[in-house]
Amino acid sequence: MVWARKAWLRLQTLFWRRRVAEQLDDELQFHLEQQIAENVAAGMSEEEARLAAVRIFGNTTALKEETRDTWGWITLEQIAQDLRYGLRSLRKSPLFTVVAVLTLAFGIGANTAIFSLIDQVLLQLLPVKHPEQLVLVAERGIRFGDSWGDNDISYPMYRDFRDGNQVFSGMFCRYPTSVSLGYGDRTEQVTAELVSGSYFPVLGVTAVIGRTVTPDDDRVPGGHPVAMLSHSFWQSRFSSDPSIVGKQIFINGYSFTVIGVSQGGFDGVEVGYKSKLFIPMMMQAQMTPLSDRLEERSLSWVTAFGRLKPGVTIAQAKASLQPLMHNILEVEVQEPTLQHYSDYDRAQFLKNSIDILPGSQGWSGLREHMQTPLWLLAALSGAVLLLACANLANLLLARATTREREMAVRLAIGAGRRRIIRLLLVESLALAVIGTAVGLGLAFLADHVLLATYFPADSAGDFPISSVPDMRVLVFALGMMLLTALVFGLAPAVQGSQAEIAPTLKDRAGSVAGGRQVLLRKLLVSGQMALALLLLIGATLFLKTLANLENSGPGFSTEHLMAFTVNPSLNGYVDDRAKDFFRRLAEDLQTLPSVSSVGLSTIPILQGRGWSNPVIAEGYSADPGQEQPAICDMISPKLFATLGVPIVAGRDFTVLDTRPVAIINETLARKYFAGRNPVGLHIGMVDDRTAAPDTLNLEIIGVVKDLKYKNLRDPAPPQAYFPYWRDEKARFMTFYLRTRVDPQQLTQAVREQVRRLDPNVSVVDLRTVDEQIGRSLKTERLVAGLSVVFGALATALAVIGLYGVMAYIVARRRREIGIRVALGALQGDVLWMVMRQVVLLSGAGLAIGALLAFALGSLIRSQLYGLQPHDPFTFVSAVLVLAVAAGMAGLIPSWRASRIDPMQSLRSE
Amino acid sequence: MGKPSDLVQGTLDLLILKTISLEPKHGWAIAKRIQQISNEVLQVQQGSLYPALHRLEQKAWIKAKWAESETGRKAKFYSLTATGRAQLEKEAANWSRLSAAIDLVVEAT
Repeated sequence: MVWARKAWLRLQTLFWRRRVAEQLDDELQFHLEQQIAENVAAGMSEEEARLAAVRIFGNTTALKEETRDTWGWITLEQIAQDLRYGLRSLRKSPLFTVVAVLTLAFGIGANTAIFSLIDQVLLQLLPVKHPEQLVLVAERGIRFGDSWGDNDISYPMYRDFRDGNQVFSGMFCRYPTSVSLGYGDRTEQVTAELVSGSYFPVLGVTAVIGRTVTPDDDRVPGGHPVAMLSHSFWQSRFSSDPSIVGKQIFINGYSFTVIGVSQGGFDGVEVGYKSKLFIPMMMQAQMTPLSDRLEERSLSWVTAFGRLKPGVTIAQAKASLQPLMHNILEVEVQEPTLQHYSDYDRAQFLKNSIDILPGSQGWSGLREHMQTPLWLLAALSGAVLLLACANLANLLLARATTREREMAVRLAIGAGRRRIIRLLLVESLALAVIGTAVGLGLAFLADHVLLATYFPADSAGDFPISSVPDMRVLVFALGMMLLTALVFGLAPAVQGSQAEIAPTLKDRAGSVAGGRQVLLRKLLVSGQMALALLLLIGATLFLKTLANLENSGPGFSTEHLMAFTVNPSLNGYVDDRAKDFFRRLAEDLQTLPSVSSVGLSTIPILQGRGWSNPVIAEGYSADPGQEQPAICDMISPKLFATLGVPIVAGRDFTVLDTRPVAIINETLARKYFAGRNPVGLHIGMVDDRTAAPDTLNLEIIGVVKDLKYKNLRDPAPPQAYFPYWRDEKARFMTFYLRTRVDPQQLTQAVREQVRRLDPNVSVVDLRTVDEQIGRSLKTERLVAGLSVVFGALATALAVIGLYGVMAYIVARRRREIGIRVALGALQGDVLWMVMRQVVLLSGAGLAIGALLAFALGSLIRSQLYGLQPHDPFTFVSAVLVLAVAAGMAGLIPSWRASRIDPMQSLRSE
Repeated sequence: MGKPSDLVQGTLDLLILKTISLEPKHGWAIAKRIQQISNEVLQVQQGSLYPALHRLEQKAWIKAKWAESETGRKAKFYSLTATGRAQLEKEAANWSRLSAAIDLVVEAT
């Protein structure tokens, strides 16, 4: 037990240092008393005895120190001393401390904020058992029928894979959908996930109360009205009430039993989509009304995951599943839909292959969309941090110079150089700790603002991404802190420890300019200029991209235009009843005095959605498989009038159009009917299951001017429009209202009209089209906004750095400049002498920066719109801005230098 | 500030261990005892005694306990641990060997 005793003693001397020290005092005091008593016994007087005893005792402090040394922990004690001293010296120069802390806080804060997003969106694995074994199963090649996502497959195909594979220990599939949830007196639209019975067992996710959905809950179509709540939804909507298990809730009007609550932190397998309800796949027909997809092979809509058996690689799984895939294709090629296909298409179809993707992070549209922008922002914020470090190093170097005397004194009275380096490093670390703490706060605020602007306002703060830093973010910030402290602190610390004792103490230092320290600072400043230029060019490019997109516009006026979406099918409105609901709502809205026109569109415009379908045309022959896809939409009469898009030929739909008719846009007309008047001619849809193949059954009655559809970035695609009442299955509809007043005043009236028709139908995405377009540019806005902030920070840091170094150089050369002036140098000469350095330093930096920007430009090409990464105007303007800023920053010390009075400067030293 | 040269460090350790091997003693008593036994030849300075005591305690060769002294005042009493006792035997044997050897060399001339 010797080690235990030793450890105990060491701990005592570390944590109860004061008590142990008091005991030592007591012990020595006892010794002294005994000595006095002995002296008295030997015949001395009380006073003499005490003095003699103290004399024998010698230097008590030295004795105590030597004894304390035996306790160990000297290093720690000295670091504590250094820390106390460092904090005191920081307090003594508050301006320096504030500037340093803020610089660091911005640098670390920006990086932490971006990392927090990157971590959640791009890096984190699913909170499930062995996420690395999860893979996504997808089909590549020609898809027949409708495909709702590149990686989606049909439910029967999932079933075939699940039952026939040899490589997975389990498979599950899921489909995200919005449902209408009624509980208490409230009905709301919430995000849900349809899950196969194997979902929870294969993921290894458990329930905190109740039970999970199991394969037994997923056997009979429509036969399992049970639902699970996500942990966070249980907390927010049901106040963590455990008695909710077993209660009834209403989903899309059907009564469901709550069977359990999922484990905390699990919100489904899609980053950026928080599932609040988990519902068995077999309830699909009830959850997504008007489509019964469980036996439908021509609709790819579920994401299928598999868990690899231990030891099986992705390549092995792929090889093993391909024959199975081929068997499935052999069955599917017999499907009636495929009978319309040409032999060529059928042959192509049979060549489809399986694809296995890593699934440890689940699947995320948000991730695919944000990957490049986020890494880009990470690079920008990293550059800002580098700049901040350079600035701090510069500040500390300047500080080291002013403290040369102090360091020389320390060295002279016996401090080791290592101790001095440690003192300075501890000081830097103290700065880094404070800066990081402030930076974490800034990061939290910044993320909150970013998420609030990125995600719709009606998500009411319930973002699928969190702004609260978690353990990983804290560790990241801590790592950054140590790294930065080392980066900006080491050079100045080493420099500080190398103070020349004799000359410094003799007060001769500062009389000569130059030296390694000045060279280092010049290099730092040039580097800062280069980085700042890089960031400024980036910011200008992104800002212009945003402006270009905004100016390009959607092809119609968005002023006084409002939109909202309803999905009455969730409340039992099907087919004609739904169409009737749309017609009545449109009529009711039209009666509002401040509404001048109402138009309906099945696919919301500029929300990234589109329904693509290959189209054939009269008098135009395309090779099989080469038909032009057109973006199709089901609309109402007067939609174009409401949007203000002119019909250039023919006419609009009317309610009397019961025959198959279509309106096409100019692009489609140009493609298929070059030089011909399309009005009166016909087109056909390749995938139309209601008609024989190659039927040209749709008569074109009008041609409309191009308008952008999916987003502002892509030019208007070929488009075809049909009347919505000819759609077999109308489910949801987006209403567009042109108003006579500010649309914001109408929100209440609109909600009131919908409520009067049916209080249970939710109004979704009610906002002005301007707002909607703003939303469609959210990523561009995010990138542009942040890069401008980073660019401004970088410019400020670089300019401050330049000013600092020039002011320092001038201060060091006071004496020399005084002599020059005394010998006849003119003010202009001195001014130019200093400015020449400014021009050299910033010129070199700008040149390097421009070269770097040129070299790195192609990396961001995909993020730009309407301009090239080497846009000369951007380069020139960014260089000009920085050059002017640098010139102004340099002019102040230069001007001061030219005003140096030789008499004063020579006397002052 | 070198160490007092009257006693080599290892030797002081040996003396301390030996002195408290019979019964626990406080610092003052240890110094006095060494002085008495050596017929006033060995004078242990406080400046080396207390650092030595604390070093031995950190090595877990001796342990300390606060108890009442003869005068009724609380004092810190040191006693040997098991490791300390083993160490004492080793050091004592070493010392005998060393001093016998030195005797041989010194008396041979």
